[in-house]
Amino acid sequence: MTETIKLSVFRYDPEKGGKPSMQAYEVPFSGAGMKLLDALNYIKWHLDGTLTYRRSCGEGVCGSDGLNINGVNGLACITPIAGLKQPIHVRPLPSMEVIRDLVVDMDHFFDQYRQIKPWLQTYSPAPEHERLQSPEERAELDGAYECIMCGCCTTSCPSWWWNGDRFLGPATLLQADRWIKDSRDEATGERLDQLEDAFKLYRCHQIMNCMEACPKGLNPTKAINHIKRTLLNRKS
Amino acid sequence: MVNKNHDLGTAHSGFNEWYWQRLSAVVLAVLLPGTFILLWTVYLGDLNQFELLDWIDSFVSRLLHTLLIVALIVHAYIGLKVMIEDYVHTGLRIVLIAGILVMMSLFGIWWLALIWAWGG
Repeated sequence: MTETIKLSVFRYDPEKGGKPSMQAYEVPFSGAGMKLLDALNYIKWHLDGTLTYRRSCGEGVCGSDGLNINGVNGLACITPIAGLKQPIHVRPLPSMEVIRDLVVDMDHFFDQYRQIKPWLQTYSPAPEHERLQSPEERAELDGAYECIMCGCCTTSCPSWWWNGDRFLGPATLLQADRWIKDSRDEATGERLDQLEDAFKLYRCHQIMNCMEACPKGLNPTKAINHIKRTLLNRKS
Repeated sequence: MVNKNHDLGTAHSGFNEWYWQRLSAVVLAVLLPGTFILLWTVYLGDLNQFELLDWIDSFVSRLLHTLLIVALIVHAYIGLKVMIEDYVHTGLRIVLIAGILVMMSLFGIWWLALIWAWGG
């Protein structure tokens, strides 16, 4: 006899109308390495093909399957089933508009990312070869470049829940800091100008949910504090 | 739920609030315990009423007292303003913030008047 996993999964289909509800499923436990995504795949492939969720790489690199798992944001593909209290409550990322079941509208999240111009900006003439960076300068980007923009941190941030229309949120600010720190980037001043705002940046009250939620173990709060300190250095 | 295309650009004003909140916090952290130490020495009987009044009367203590009250008001005003900005999303926000600013200012002026008018 195989062990079974109990899940309670958020279901909502706006085309059918009605209210969102939680649906119970039971899935066989397939072994110690089983991840939550395996359970969702089992539901979709064997039990209920209508269950809708995003997934792609299945190994914590693409950032598609950010979900609220037993109340904590994380990636389904790298969350082991073994450590989770059952029934496992699986919900879409909090504070997001649900398109269907576990799929949320990420447009605003990526609009905010676009706002910080997440690309290299330079004014000096392009060198003949690459713009070079020393190993030390490259090391400055550790802890920021690993971000996969899954949205787990931003959607766990109360400041973003209350003022997400203006506060950029931890993921975007971590990336803003990544470009501020980049030794090759020449738009640091403009980047800081863009962030100096009571809502865009300073709405961060160091609640640190972002750090708890990050499936890649990054620390957006630290990055936000670095931006604040850089602004302080500029003024005093 | 968030509004799309709601970006109004940058206000270039967040820094000062953040800076003054932290600066006032440092002043409070240094000066506020002083008032409790003073109170404590009175309760322990190390300082009698006249000695206490003498101390409050002195120029240095009036100066420190003034700094304390100014820091307290700046800190409380910014703190309450930020909380209102967090949770109030209607036009009421401006009314509440303005109301708190007026109340805090009146309280501050009254207290400063007490400090500097004390003892004639």
